[in-house]
Amino acid sequence: MKKMNLFKKTAACLLTVMMSVLTLGEAAYAEELPYDTYNYNYREDIVMTPAPYVPDGSVTGLSLGTTNFKEPQDLCVAENGEIYIADTGNNRIVIMDADMKNVVRIIDSFERDGVTDTFSAPYGVCVSENNELYVADSRNKRVVVLTPEGEFIKIVDNPQSEILDDNFEFVPLKVTVDYADRIYVIGKNAFEGILVFESNGQFTGYFGTIEVKISLWEKFWRRLASKEERSNQQLYIPTEFTGIDVDSDGFIYASNIDSDGIQAVRRLNPQGKDVIQKGENANVGGDLVVGMYGDYSGPSEITDVVYRDKGMYSLLDKKRGRIFTYDKEGNLLYIFGGLGAQEGTFITPVAIEVTDEHIVVLDATHNAVMKFKETQYGALINDAVGLRFDGDETLAIAKWEEVLRLDENNELANNGIGKAYLTAGDNKKAMHYLEVGMNRKYYSIAWKRLRNEILADNLNYILTGAIVLLIGLKIYKVIKRKKTGVQKEGGLL
Amino acid sequence: MKELFSKDKWSFLFYTISHPADGFYEIRHRNRGSVAISILLVILFSLSFSINRIGASFVVNDVDPRFVDALDELTSVLVLFGLICVSNWSITCLMQGEGRMKDIAIAVGYSMLPATVCFAVGTIFSQFVAADEGAFYWMIVAIGIAYTLIMMLIGIMQVHHYTLGKTLVTIFLTFVAMFIIIFIVLLFFDLINQVYSFFYSIYQELIFRA
Repeated sequence: MKKMNLFKKTAACLLTVMMSVLTLGEAAYAEELPYDTYNYNYREDIVMTPAPYVPDGSVTGLSLGTTNFKEPQDLCVAENGEIYIADTGNNRIVIMDADMKNVVRIIDSFERDGVTDTFSAPYGVCVSENNELYVADSRNKRVVVLTPEGEFIKIVDNPQSEILDDNFEFVPLKVTVDYADRIYVIGKNAFEGILVFESNGQFTGYFGTIEVKISLWEKFWRRLASKEERSNQQLYIPTEFTGIDVDSDGFIYASNIDSDGIQAVRRLNPQGKDVIQKGENANVGGDLVVGMYGDYSGPSEITDVVYRDKGMYSLLDKKRGRIFTYDKEGNLLYIFGGLGAQEGTFITPVAIEVTDEHIVVLDATHNAVMKFKETQYGALINDAVGLRFDGDETLAIAKWEEVLRLDENNELANNGIGKAYLTAGDNKKAMHYLEVGMNRKYYSIAWKRLRNEILADNLNYILTGAIVLLIGLKIYKVIKRKKTGVQKEGGLL
Repeated sequence: MKELFSKDKWSFLFYTISHPADGFYEIRHRNRGSVAISILLVILFSLSFSINRIGASFVVNDVDPRFVDALDELTSVLVLFGLICVSNWSITCLMQGEGRMKDIAIAVGYSMLPATVCFAVGTIFSQFVAADEGAFYWMIVAIGIAYTLIMMLIGIMQVHHYTLGKTLVTIFLTFVAMFIIIFIVLLFFDLINQVYSFFYSIYQELIFRA
């Protein structure tokens, strides 16, 4: 008996130690994340969240078995999962396999009319749906179109149009291609918008021009200034686009640096009109709370955008190295990432892409591709948002409830459940969750529906009650008049 | 005490609400107002205001209820009330105002009633509005505040037997006086603080030497 006790005690002791070591290990892991993961609540306060994505290694030129990258500027994921990197400083395109372990091919030159041609600072890269490789060959002022094997197809350069300045220099930085093989190019100093080329290389015009906003105050000062002063003032030119992507419907997602931090991404329809949806706070510009002074002050500088599945898209912030993910309705889903020298942090993040399993970010100073894999928390949110996008909202409730288990009071999850119940027609439950999630718009919809239901159900009683009340009042008045006789009321109280 | 809360005083409060000019005249000249009721009304206003901030539906309420301290607000409302009365009294004394301190306190306190009621009504009403009907809620609140301001204006006018123009001038000067009082009070506290720290350092010196 005594021996048994001793055994039990030892076992218990061992178990406790094991458990504490295990939990300690977990806690330590959470603290080891080299960046903060957070979101903004309805009041635009910062709320820490579980990590949606965690670092999952990085890829350098050396790890691929070739020489290191040199200031790479862009990457692109092809349909078959192969990843194309514009290794700008080495004047080559590196293609690696879907596992990001081996080099498939390196393209540093191509045969054109029997002559060997090379790239000069290839800045942007894109693979079209028809599996053609587009390279923004910036210093050669042209876009080179090749097969993935490196066979020459065509060259797009030297756009001719009346709308271009005489001394306009075509320096393509980023390039993307839609389903009709129209080529969208972000040019250096092309403030008027994105340059669009037909598939035959014909320049058709600018696209998605960002309007310049001049405040009343600035207008007032311009009015006061003399001609000479005005010529010395800075020009009001729109901001340039920084990154570009295309979604499955052929809409163009283009990021830009917004000095107000309100809109850093546009969703452009085929006419070049911005049709992006914004959430309750009408902001798709990255961080909502920013410092006023210091090195990392000011609004986020969004340097690239990637369209993901189910209407979601992610923005990459150059200033603080953060990645913001929004859903189709413009709600901020999660934020992660940061600057630093550790693995999983950036110094100069320049491009973002998604593969089947990872979010990959290209860093031009680390000369590496950082991989991030989704956690349970991130996967749940992605799935739930996807279900809403597909219209299977009621299925999303279970996902959101799982999110609430991981992160109590998660506003996003409460809103998700609320919206799902609203679609399902359960207005009372919807109201409860939407109130916790502080969603005025959808709460009001639910409440109006519930109110109408109550009214419709009880209209008989309400009307009957009103009539009874009216008749009762009349009778009361008649009786009172008979009792007291007709008397004039009035006077001071 | 009974005198201060007598039935006549209560009923005259409601008469004043509906007939401000007449009511405040009677308060000044026939002693029909009560300072106690006036202070009670100020406290009620503060409560109603805090309850509105905490309890109004989130559809119309931008205030984070976690950061509302009703007691804190009560103190600041009472301090503000006292400040207005004192500074108005000190200004009107110099400008041939007929009102006594008592009358000013009653005029300001009684005027609070519409705002108190409207904040309370608004708080209840807000539970039943959707986002696009918020305008009705804001209308209720705005009516309450406007009524209160108008009553205060008429009250000060009647109590001091001023014309409208002179009332507006005195109200402006009242605000100036308020700032001067606040400034002097802060200065005073700062000086007291310095004197205190002087003696405290002497005390410390003595303690460490001994």
